[in-house]
Amino acid sequence: MSTSHSASVDNLVAPNPVRRGVLAGLLGAYAASLIPWALAQPVADSDQGAFLAVSAILVGRSALDAAATKRLYDALLANDASFSASTRTLLNLINERKIDPLQLQQLLDDEKSPLAAIPRVIVSAWLLGIVGSGERARCLAFETALNAVMVADVLKPPTYAYGTYGSWAGKPG
Amino acid sequence: MADTLSADFVVIGSGIIGSLTARKLALAGASVLILEAGPRVTRGELVARFRNSPRRSDWMSPYPPAAWAPHPVYQPKDNGYLVQAGPYPYPAEYIRQVGGTTWHWAAHAWRNVPNDFKIRSLYGVGVDWPITYEDLEPFYQEAEEIMGVSGAPNTGSPRTKPFPMQPVTEPYAMRRIRERLEPAYPVVSNTTARNSRSYDGRPACCGNNSCQPICPIDAQYHGGLSADAAVAAGARLIPDANVYQLEHDAQGRVTAALYYDPDKASHRVTGKTFIVAANGIESPRLLLLSTSDKFPQGLANSRDMVGRHLMDHPSTSLTFDAEEALWLGRGPQSPSSINTMRDGAFRSEHAPYRLDFTNISRVDGTSKSLVAAGVYGPELEKRLRHSVAHELNVKNVLEVLPLPEHRIALSDQKDAMGIPKPQAHYSIDDYTRRGHERSQADFKRIAELMGGTNLRFSKDGDFANNQHICGTLSMGKDPATSVCDGWGRAHDHENLFLASTGVLPTSATCNSTLNGLAVALRTAQHILSAQTSTPTPAATSAPGR
Repeated sequence: MSTSHSASVDNLVAPNPVRRGVLAGLLGAYAASLIPWALAQPVADSDQGAFLAVSAILVGRSALDAAATKRLYDALLANDASFSASTRTLLNLINERKIDPLQLQQLLDDEKSPLAAIPRVIVSAWLLGIVGSGERARCLAFETALNAVMVADVLKPPTYAYGTYGSWAGKPG
Repeated sequence: MADTLSADFVVIGSGIIGSLTARKLALAGASVLILEAGPRVTRGELVARFRNSPRRSDWMSPYPPAAWAPHPVYQPKDNGYLVQAGPYPYPAEYIRQVGGTTWHWAAHAWRNVPNDFKIRSLYGVGVDWPITYEDLEPFYQEAEEIMGVSGAPNTGSPRTKPFPMQPVTEPYAMRRIRERLEPAYPVVSNTTARNSRSYDGRPACCGNNSCQPICPIDAQYHGGLSADAAVAAGARLIPDANVYQLEHDAQGRVTAALYYDPDKASHRVTGKTFIVAANGIESPRLLLLSTSDKFPQGLANSRDMVGRHLMDHPSTSLTFDAEEALWLGRGPQSPSSINTMRDGAFRSEHAPYRLDFTNISRVDGTSKSLVAAGVYGPELEKRLRHSVAHELNVKNVLEVLPLPEHRIALSDQKDAMGIPKPQAHYSIDDYTRRGHERSQADFKRIAELMGGTNLRFSKDGDFANNQHICGTLSMGKDPATSVCDGWGRAHDHENLFLASTGVLPTSATCNSTLNGLAVALRTAQHILSAQTSTPTPAATSAPGR
């Protein structure tokens, strides 16, 4: 890891974080290599920036909606006061150890990391639009949840009309 | 008592069966009062609740129980309303609100096959019904025309008139299943209360794929429409009226229904004839609650038959990945079945079953699986799309035999209104288990024909429930083994009728709603015929137990 990378990561925990910057300024080289397309995405502050970066790495999408980012971040933080710090630590970990996203969960589970729950919380929020669990679970997105977006070329979310009567007879795709 | 209401007919329960029974009586000019324990809820509210639910795959999540009229829910935690006495759990789901449980259903509206009515005579198991398929056939048709049923004629249930509508257009995935399974398995379109064209002011299906828990456009029939139709016919419907006791006179005739409003103020409703139509669990519960010096075990229960013979349709299933991309979730949720194991000599040995293919979108289920597996990064979208495109599921729908030890009783526990909760005593017997075992060969063959990989059988010993509650108010010729006669009249009470899937004396292999409704419409016809002194065939002339 180069000096500049460390300096960039250090920005995430600096007392005066980057405000209204772009994501590129918050990432280390490895993290940036995972989401090169996202580097110009605007972020409100370093905490949200770290959340956006980790989110982008975990869900592997080429764009994440800014309003959704804020909404999910606020909800996750409200659920867990240490969420910001955990997310920053997770981003550092991914960057410093150059962890393949596909190996991340297994690694955290194997190491019994205190961060092990964080990826599932974040991916559930983006993919299903659900934050929290059990009686505290809340729905923050449905038709805009990523799992609906990822298949939107073929399927409509339940309750949304597929099309005119019989339009489902044809071969999909 | 806050007030006293009265009517010719008092119907307890505003579900599809209670409401359409009430409608038929009201159309004949009778005064009819419907008492519904739960609240009114609109379709728009239900759609919004679903879309905002954090538990979209929990079809009860848009239907939270009212405090004054609870029903069982199990997520995010069991509310403990339906007490489980075991040995096997019976986690029934039903809805206490105006319109009842068919607000969410797959709208399967199958007729029984004729042999379902005489399995004791033919196969030496279960019981014979006190009526025949031919007795019920005109009332099947009547129910199908009210609901707007679409279907194909090749499902084993003979007809004297055509379906109101052609089958709903087959989704591509079901077409490919049908084509690949030929000729080993004939795959047929399901018979459903779902519009394949505009019908009775409601539109054709638009493939919203949320039949359960709520069709957002009323292309699928439901009990809320039945309740509206009853009111339009002149019935008066009182929601939030939780009936907790029926009263009787010295002759055993029912004279009044007592109900609590949400503030637990008690109200008394009198009538000439009472029809209990509060589903297969709440109906026996009410009869058991209605104890008196004359009937210390409750009404219609002098021979301890109320609540017994509880049946449903347990299911086991196979999930697998098909060779080709089929993309379940386009069109209605439940379009196709295999009916070849619904009847045959094997019924003397093991349960018959229908094989049912789901067309429910795999998106949410796959998402949860991928999160659980920790699949992140670019692989997440790739695997999501692959699984959603390829995953198929087939389940069996197994017959359960009527056994007296399977029952709904009253619990020692009380609900929020201070009324004893219902308690389920249930198990899966060997007859049903053998049917499950037989079906595993079908599952494997189906997967093979679909080029299936990644086969995931449901956990051994786990049977999913299908919420087709029946048997608890069984009709029969012999009062020693049944609750009511073939007309739905309680053996013990001249003016008490039972209209519910609970009156079905066997479960057969198809969803209970159409059968329960057809029997209830026949009951209503009998009541009206008796009032106008029109001769009707005596129920006791029919074969059966």
